[in-house]
Amino acid sequence: MIRGVIIMNDQGKPRLIRFYEFQLIFGCCWSILIRGLRLACGEAAGAGSKHLQNRAENVSNFVKVDSLFGPSYDHQLAGCAACVQNFCNIYFVFIFDNSENELAMLDLMQVFVETLDKCFSNVCELDIVFNFNKVHTILDEIILGGQVLETSSSDVVMAVEDISKLEKNSNSIIPSIPGWQGR
Amino acid sequence: MISICYSPLYLFELLLSEFVSGLTPYEKKKYVWKMLYIYMLGYDVDFGHMEAVSLISAPKYPEKQVGYIVTSCLLNENHDFLRLAINTVRNDIIGRNETFQCLALTLVGNIGGREFAESLAPDVQKLLISSSCRPLVRKKAALCLLRLYRKNPDVVNVDGWSDRMAQLLDERDLGVLTSSMSLLVALVSNNHEAYWSCLPKCVKILERLARNQDVPQEYTYYGIPSPWLQVKTMRALQYFPTVEDPNTRRSLFEVLQRILMGTDVVKNVNKNNASHAVLFEALALVMHLDAEKEMMSQCVALLGKFIAVREPNIRYLGLENMTRMLMVTDVQDIIKRHQAQIITSLKDPDISIRRRALDLLYGMCDVSNAKDIVEELLQYLSSADFAMREELSLKAAILAEKFAPDLSWYVDVILQLIDKAGDFVSDDIWFRVVQFVTNNEDLQSYAALKAREYLDKPAIHETMVKVSAYILGEYSHLLARRPGCSPKEIFHIIHEKLPTVSTSTIPILLSTYAKILMHNQPPDQELQKQILAIFNKYESCIDAEIQQRAVEYHALSMKGAALMDILAEMPKFPERQSSLIKKAEESEADTAEQSAIKLRAQQHTSNALVLTDQRPANGTPPVSQLGLVKVPSMTNTDQSTAEQELPHLNGALTVVDPQPPSTPSPDLLGDLLGPLAIEGPSGTAPQSDLGVASGLDGGVVAGALAIAPVEEQTNTVQPIGDIAERFHALCMKDSGVLYEDPYIQIGIKAEWRAHHGRVVLFLGNKNTAPLFSVQALILPPSHLKMELSLVPETIPPRAQVQCPLEVVNLKPSRDVAVLDFLYKFGTHVVNVRLRLPAVLNKFLQPITVSPDEFFPQWRSLSGPPLKLQEVVRGVRPMPLAEMANLFNSLHLMVCPGLDPNANNLVASTTFYSESTRAMLCLIRIETDPADRTQLRMTVASGDPTLTFELKEFIKEQLVFIPVPPRAPAPAPTPVPPQALPPTSPPTAISDPGALLAGLL
Repeated sequence: MIRGVIIMNDQGKPRLIRFYEFQLIFGCCWSILIRGLRLACGEAAGAGSKHLQNRAENVSNFVKVDSLFGPSYDHQLAGCAACVQNFCNIYFVFIFDNSENELAMLDLMQVFVETLDKCFSNVCELDIVFNFNKVHTILDEIILGGQVLETSSSDVVMAVEDISKLEKNSNSIIPSIPGWQGR
Repeated sequence: MISICYSPLYLFELLLSEFVSGLTPYEKKKYVWKMLYIYMLGYDVDFGHMEAVSLISAPKYPEKQVGYIVTSCLLNENHDFLRLAINTVRNDIIGRNETFQCLALTLVGNIGGREFAESLAPDVQKLLISSSCRPLVRKKAALCLLRLYRKNPDVVNVDGWSDRMAQLLDERDLGVLTSSMSLLVALVSNNHEAYWSCLPKCVKILERLARNQDVPQEYTYYGIPSPWLQVKTMRALQYFPTVEDPNTRRSLFEVLQRILMGTDVVKNVNKNNASHAVLFEALALVMHLDAEKEMMSQCVALLGKFIAVREPNIRYLGLENMTRMLMVTDVQDIIKRHQAQIITSLKDPDISIRRRALDLLYGMCDVSNAKDIVEELLQYLSSADFAMREELSLKAAILAEKFAPDLSWYVDVILQLIDKAGDFVSDDIWFRVVQFVTNNEDLQSYAALKAREYLDKPAIHETMVKVSAYILGEYSHLLARRPGCSPKEIFHIIHEKLPTVSTSTIPILLSTYAKILMHNQPPDQELQKQILAIFNKYESCIDAEIQQRAVEYHALSMKGAALMDILAEMPKFPERQSSLIKKAEESEADTAEQSAIKLRAQQHTSNALVLTDQRPANGTPPVSQLGLVKVPSMTNTDQSTAEQELPHLNGALTVVDPQPPSTPSPDLLGDLLGPLAIEGPSGTAPQSDLGVASGLDGGVVAGALAIAPVEEQTNTVQPIGDIAERFHALCMKDSGVLYEDPYIQIGIKAEWRAHHGRVVLFLGNKNTAPLFSVQALILPPSHLKMELSLVPETIPPRAQVQCPLEVVNLKPSRDVAVLDFLYKFGTHVVNVRLRLPAVLNKFLQPITVSPDEFFPQWRSLSGPPLKLQEVVRGVRPMPLAEMANLFNSLHLMVCPGLDPNANNLVASTTFYSESTRAMLCLIRIETDPADRTQLRMTVASGDPTLTFELKEFIKEQLVFIPVPPRAPAPAPTPVPPQALPPTSPPTAISDPGALLAGLL
């Protein structure tokens, strides 16, 4: 299952965090994780590359979480791997255990990024900071309880748009759902 | 929303003050969002949960949404506040509003608590199969159910779901299909038997996707039809042991062949990722299905290609999958062909790939290539990243130990390791090398020489000082004739290092000096003076350990000849499993979901983990090694400490140690440093005595072993008495015999207090020969926490060993714990599975209730699920008095006079478990004097599970199950003991996965 999703900016500040198996870990463990991921991101990014496609050619997107903590550190993510991508100075991290296919995780991350891109038309860090309720909603449409819910970004966009409409005309007590067609 | 420059502390204060004053729903919503934001920044937000939860019941959509999202982020399943929301969530789920349904399902799916499972699982199931729901709701319901099921498999009832799953797989909508497939994976991984009907459907789906038939545009990802669903489907297929139907098999292999052949590396990164995701999953599936050899070698060839491609992700996964492949099939030889390429990957620019390469090298290492690989690793050590060095040195040390072609090479490797990466060499590693040197006389002068050479280097690591000082102290006298190795010269070269070392090393150096002094024959006055001066100096050291040693050695050195005895060479260390290897095994921890490959790998006896003592002997004599046991005798008077020297087939003599075979590393330190200072060689004396005493006995046994005919290997050892009967008897009483056969008797004695229990297993060897390779494993059901203390590997002749077992009852359940017991006698390997009598009634304590207490309780527990009634038929006919006796022996206190009808029985008891604590249970039995075979039973308690389990338990006791000689007993059935061929290597018994595999 997918254990967690993290979005960070290029300084390693978390911009969205979602864990599915346990609640957020704090303190030392947390800072090690973030620092490790930051390092990993730095490597994945290569030197000053701006776009996903331009990332350093010869570096993979995968990191074993165990290696971030060192061999003897006891943490809740034992045996998990993380895949890391950067996109317009935002870093996306998915943490998942060995029941998931690594490359499929990368695909899913691409779906997530594409969806964000469609919803915010060229997503940037500020979009995520100021609309983080919306980002949460999008994420909830893609991943549920650590499992993949939907892989078609157009479906997700449709669902999210319907929800935003509801939010806007929240005057009616029980909102009607006119365009709410699953597909 | 929040300006980023707010300090979080300021925000805390702000929010706290806001929560105190009343809030409008809008403000509430705003602040709850801020709370989530602070939480996300890494601060523990332990306030305002109430506000978040209360927003769930808000009527307006935006507030409700905020409530749901924040609650699912902030709270976990054990949070008390969640109870407040259950009703609202349920109303939303069964309500008509699909938006609300979605929100509620998302919350439940993300949190998945037990209480949610209990109250919502049926509703979620209904949503999933309802045809009137839109796909959007149904796919969420599928994942929600999956989460509830995975977290609480006992609460969510999935009986009869195979048909429904099969229906769900006919779904055309790919979104729903993806979610259903995830659900199927979870169900199948738990019990594949029930879902055979889904297998052909999975293959159909795979065909549909691979041929790109009827796949809507939005599910085509960079030209590939839903890679996600393809991957999930193949994952599901890996949980079925095999595909039997030839037609299905053929079409599956067609699809797989198509995937394997038709995937190429292309320019577009995303397309590449997607197509290779499918390809790697297909590889895993082929490995699982053990396809024709042709396809298998095709797979390895593909992987070999991958580890050399440009695309780093594929290189990474190529290495990773090769590592997995190592565990599964016998393709090691083909993989070895790629060794050069893998070694090149150690220099890959990506650290993740370097790590994978290291793992793969570690996994593929065996006797034939150990030398190459370890030397390669040593060479790599000086250029490796600092982050990897610790792991690298640990792995090199383990490999060197496991596969050393000869022991001097092992010593070389470890000394090189310490030299090159002293900071990263843990104490365990140098303890181990000292242990080996001590136990192997041939090695001692070689090691001493090597240590002497390293001391000549200008700057050496402190660990190297420790090892060399220790080894030279013990064995430098073996070198005395060589140039530069006189006691004096050795002393000087070691003493040079003293100013540079830390306080932890000084005690070792002092011991070394004392030993040099002892070997200083004929006495060299000058050297003696120097050493005594050093002792003198440290007698006032602030460090207690150093001071003690200095004082003692000083005093001892005055004793003259007595010094020789006290400071004689260290006795051999008891052979034990390397703490390094143990550590390595432990670190291979399992994750929540057992991957199919791993599960299978554990069925194969993997040769990746070779036990230390199976080192191939080529040239060097095998290390004297054998299990060591102290037998804690049951009755201390007649069986005083039965330490025995045990003969081994290879004739090596053994050491008996008062400690269990595997001791954690801290003791190792004690072993190394402790006796040196105080005890001296006294430990050896009693051993030699015993050796003489038991020599005769041992000789006989060894002879018997050698003569034992080979055919006997397949014979079965018959148990004495009926195992099932013994078990049932033990359910009623607390001590007795659990199992007996011609060689061994297993007795049991138990004490129960509330939800704790202490069971002592008595393993008695009935023969005049020892029992070897004794292994006992507890397979506890989910409701019991059981901890078995160490079981010695060998039970000496006519000895009895006690093994205490701690039991904690977590929740009511009728499941029974199983003891998996294995031993070797001569050529027999006997393996039995025995049910342990840690049954429900052991956690009951009889209690008398007066009518004043009984009736209010009885009335307050009204109706199901707290009070259950059932008419039981087929009861074993017995008079009422006998039934009352039965009840009393089950710890159900019969309270006479409560029921006016003389044909009825009323009983009461208290049940203890960690989840329910003490819980009063009331039972009423109404019998029919005309027909003794049926009765009506009513059971009531404050916990629905308890009521149900107790009712079923009593029913089992009342209903007479005729036990014909070979009747199928209720699961888990004790497996009749069977003799396994003794060649089968012992399974990695510490591995829970292996257990699981053994059970399947």
